[in-house]
Amino acid sequence: MKGEMPINEKDAQSRKIWKKRLINLGIVILSLSSFTAVWWAVALYLNIAYLPTPPVVFKAFFESFYINDPNLGNKMGQNIVVSGERFIGGFFLALVIAVPLGLLMGFLSSINTFAKPIIELLRPIPPIAWVPFFFVAFGTFWNPILTVFIGAFFPILTNVILGVRSVEPAMLDAARTQGARRVDLFSKVILPFSVPYLMTGITIGLGVAWMCIVAAEWYGAVGGGVGYYIIISGQTAFYANMFAGMIVIALLGLSTVTLSGYLESLIKKRMGMK
Amino acid sequence: MSILSIQNLKKTFPKEDGEMVAIQDFSLDVKQGEFVCILGPSGCGKTTLLRIIAGLETSTSGEILLNDKKITSPGSDRGMVFQEFALLPWRNVRRNMEFGLEIKKVSKDERRRISDRFIELVGLKGFENYHPYQLSGGMKQRVGIARALANDPAVLLMDEPFGALDAQTRNLMQKELLRIWQETKKTVIFITHSVDEACYLADRIVVMTTRPGMIKDIFNVTMPRPRDRASPEFAQLRKTILAELEREVVSAPATITGTEAQV
Repeated sequence: MKGEMPINEKDAQSRKIWKKRLINLGIVILSLSSFTAVWWAVALYLNIAYLPTPPVVFKAFFESFYINDPNLGNKMGQNIVVSGERFIGGFFLALVIAVPLGLLMGFLSSINTFAKPIIELLRPIPPIAWVPFFFVAFGTFWNPILTVFIGAFFPILTNVILGVRSVEPAMLDAARTQGARRVDLFSKVILPFSVPYLMTGITIGLGVAWMCIVAAEWYGAVGGGVGYYIIISGQTAFYANMFAGMIVIALLGLSTVTLSGYLESLIKKRMGMK
Repeated sequence: MSILSIQNLKKTFPKEDGEMVAIQDFSLDVKQGEFVCILGPSGCGKTTLLRIIAGLETSTSGEILLNDKKITSPGSDRGMVFQEFALLPWRNVRRNMEFGLEIKKVSKDERRRISDRFIELVGLKGFENYHPYQLSGGMKQRVGIARALANDPAVLLMDEPFGALDAQTRNLMQKELLRIWQETKKTVIFITHSVDEACYLADRIVVMTTRPGMIKDIFNVTMPRPRDRASPEFAQLRKTILAELEREVVSAPATITGTEAQV
């Protein structure tokens, strides 16, 4: 059968793949350590308060998890939970609105014609530009949630629309010649076909949303949050803590985007999309 | 007795300066269990004809009767096999075959019984859980054929089903299709631009003209199966039809360049 090969050849192939992975891992370690080395050298050379050396930052990073912060009086874990709740709230809201709207806009051209001008007008506005308005209009609780919502909404929406539009006409024809009605076409062809596109939207949306949470917490957030922690640490000259907060955001962003990207490639592989 | 009757079919498409006549004066009766090949150069409207029979497109005038009932919309009584396979990539082989049965709300046990039968019939045993991307073109089209047959259609409509396959696979699939046809005794309408394919498969070959697509000639093929491509009768038939097609291409309007007709 096509695609199958003898066992020993398969073994050699998997050894090759592992060797390649090991080399890649080595390069990643080299990349990160050279970054740290350059940072360290520059910090030592400049010797200024607002650029602490890596060990100072790493120490602040680890201590932030078990020593109360001098400004906020809480630990990093609590800030992550606070930001995380805002993040999940906003992201969930974006999913709940963007997915059905995207499906409708992709499926029904009249809805698309109606909604498209509004969406195209609002889309170029950076999510951060909404922050002052959200703050005044909806207060400290909703401001970060809504900013995350704006950040995640458009990538999800546009990708879902793209997914619905990308359905191969022959797939719909094949379904119709098997007795599928409009509702079957939607639920059994268009919806599953759009899932990998939705996943692309989610991956992109996650990346944008993490930028939004920091920006929103900058603007008068109460009750902490990682973004707020970064800003208040900078303003009160706890520069090592400021960088520690940046590392936390980097790790949160990296892990969620990687996870979502992995899920996306898994689904695409199962559907034979490369 | 005729199972499918096409009567004075006409199809036009709107154009900037009036209309383009794709099919005109097309009448054909297809007998129960018959294997009909519709042969013509590209642009002769043969795919449009098949899509109208399938109910995916409407005719401008004329009508098509299936078992004396007028065709107005798509239905699972006309199974269709597509050149581009059109399988659902997120469904495995079995679930692709069960699609139409799910829509008809056939019970899970019954679905499984039917898909088992057609997996066996098209020679895909052991591949039930494979996804389309894991299959070769020939295997994908086996799924396409089984999927159409699983709905127990009255006629099987095939739109250049082997057009995307390499020459060897194509020949193998032609043999396989004849075997499946003989086992299921289905009526088949098979679109192709390959003279060789039509001569190998058909009980009757309908040669079409280009723009407007009309019936130019009909050949009854009485050679017993399996047919020997090297036999003098086969060569003679192929030569006759090819000559007719070539005349057609030469006399076609200048807007149509070349032909896909293959020997």
